[in-house]
Amino acid sequence: MKKFILIVVSVFFYLQSNAANVSIRLVIKNGVLEFNDGTTVYYKIFTSSATFANNSDLLIFNEGDIVTLKVVNTTSENHGLSITGVLNLGVITASDSIQQTFNAPPAGVYRFFDPLNFPYNEYLGLSGVIHVKAINDLTPYFYWDLREHQLTWNESIPLGNSPILNTYQPYYFTINGNSEPNINLDIVARVIGNVGSEVRIVIVNNGLSIHSMHFHGFHAHLLNNSKNTAHEGREKDTFPVYPKEYVVLSFVPDKPGEYPVHDHNLVAVTGGGIYHAGMFTTLLIAP
Amino acid sequence: MRKKLLFLFVFSICNYWGQIDYSKLIIGRNLGTHTFHDGLQTRIFGFTETLSAATKIPGPTLYLNSGDSVKLDFWNMSQGAPHTIHLHGLDVNQQNDGVGMLSFEVMHTEHGYYYFKAPHPGTYLYHCHVGSTVHLQAGMYGLVIVRPNDGNLLLNWENGESYGREFPLLASEIDTIWHNDTILDQEHDMTMPLYVPATYQPNYFLVNGKSGTQLSDISNHLLALPNEKVYMRLANIGYYGVRYIFPSILEARTVASDGRPLPAEVVNDTIEVLPGERYETFLQLGMDNSYPFTVEHFNLNTQVISSSQTMVIETTFSDVETKENLTFGVFPNPNNGIFEINEALTENYQIYSLEGKKLKESMESPISISDYANGSYLLCYKGNTLFIVKD
Repeated sequence: MKKFILIVVSVFFYLQSNAANVSIRLVIKNGVLEFNDGTTVYYKIFTSSATFANNSDLLIFNEGDIVTLKVVNTTSENHGLSITGVLNLGVITASDSIQQTFNAPPAGVYRFFDPLNFPYNEYLGLSGVIHVKAINDLTPYFYWDLREHQLTWNESIPLGNSPILNTYQPYYFTINGNSEPNINLDIVARVIGNVGSEVRIVIVNNGLSIHSMHFHGFHAHLLNNSKNTAHEGREKDTFPVYPKEYVVLSFVPDKPGEYPVHDHNLVAVTGGGIYHAGMFTTLLIAP
Repeated sequence: MRKKLLFLFVFSICNYWGQIDYSKLIIGRNLGTHTFHDGLQTRIFGFTETLSAATKIPGPTLYLNSGDSVKLDFWNMSQGAPHTIHLHGLDVNQQNDGVGMLSFEVMHTEHGYYYFKAPHPGTYLYHCHVGSTVHLQAGMYGLVIVRPNDGNLLLNWENGESYGREFPLLASEIDTIWHNDTILDQEHDMTMPLYVPATYQPNYFLVNGKSGTQLSDISNHLLALPNEKVYMRLANIGYYGVRYIFPSILEARTVASDGRPLPAEVVNDTIEVLPGERYETFLQLGMDNSYPFTVEHFNLNTQVISSSQTMVIETTFSDVETKENLTFGVFPNPNNGIFEINEALTENYQIYSLEGKKLKESMESPISISDYANGSYLLCYKGNTLFIVKD
């Protein structure tokens, strides 16, 4: 029996801590994003799913992985995929695909996005989160991909227009493509933890607005802050996540209960003009 | 055995809550009026301490000492929606967190208690968390300032850094369209949607409830003594970002945020405070008569600056509030030119003439100003300034 447990544990650690060859096939799809109130907007995603999803895929690698990435463009427009400082696939023409193999970059958080027609293709959904985990990092993480949506932009951009950034006025606000209450149905986003057990959250702002995230119940320790590395190490209950930037935080709950986390620009906790159908979720902490 | 345990549990709970160090009555109101600098008036919600008090933006500041057991008795006398008190940043438990759907709401003519401890000195906020997008915009917010456990008014935390005076500044904005009765008087039913206007385009930008010319008006200057070290408690409860921009001569040093010391102080004249954040910053005043500084509000979607307003720190020898909690004193005063500070000196003091000329800097004690003419002088020590009279 002891031998069996030893083998299982060894295999577990081998899988967790060793680099691997990873193949990913992402398909660029056009579709529709539907909000809580039934409103729909034109949307695009990078997805490995057979069906359209609310958000582009979350990609998780281990440090040292050798990644073979194939991106298939099923739309009638040109697109691309770039990871800043890591790779740029160039132009993927309509109905074409590009494949490239690369070494996973050092442990950390990265964004992948369509660099063409910047920032509009990305605004329409063509961006996502990459987390490269350090060897032996067994900490459970939750992932929040923050975005906002202005209906007229989603109508205008596919017609070839470039809306003026200074007039941006989003009306819907999402985490991983969902608004409250559906954020809490997303196991990647909804934090369920225990008193005394560390919780880590990777927050990436793939939108265009600054989001000021407020935690009820707990102060968070800022582990990484791509916009202001000088802010790393701070204990905060509210902190900004700037567009195209990320924050990784950690906290150890000291009490049980259900505690909200939301953007403290309180317009962003609304959706379609309804309170609080926006960027609002809760931490569920068991004793 | 079970009975004994039950008795002990009840006894300990009663004993615990029996040791209330700070108790306060707070009243939620829905029928206030706010007057802007241009004379326009708008309806507001808010918090008051008495029924007869006028509803103002912001609500009364709550001053606590770290470690206090606090009880807030919150009454809703609003003729309208339910309200709560969320203790923003104080990390209270779920029952006392003030989020209606997760704890309790207080209905009109009813009341409820909030119990908590405030273990960390610093700057915090309180606000209603029912329909909060509407109720905060309406004015239901205020500051909570937690002092060190001994109640020291001139020290940022236990064994922290002293200052001569503090200035809490709470930024917000108002879009007057959001203050129409149709928005404020919506039926509050948890099963029904609560609507907000289609756009948020604030037309007034506030600090401590003042806007425009009110902020720079002499009646709203922040008064301090020359050469004082002042402590700015910079907070933002609005839906826009705020930048406080101080003149470089004031050597702004930010040392804390959200009720926690920063791992390393930040020397920067511009302090950006996003919605819900608080920062604590030292400024070193000199002998100039006034120090204007800028408060910018910027749109979080476009990052366009929507408002840039001026406030003023004015140095004066009069009209400054008497300081009752100075950490030190001098004796004798008046004197014949020889006097002492009533504690062991841990840093240099400076002696200034009333014209602002530095006459002496030393740790020497007793202190001598025998070489100077009879008259008044300023003693600066640990960020505080005292008048010394030689006769």
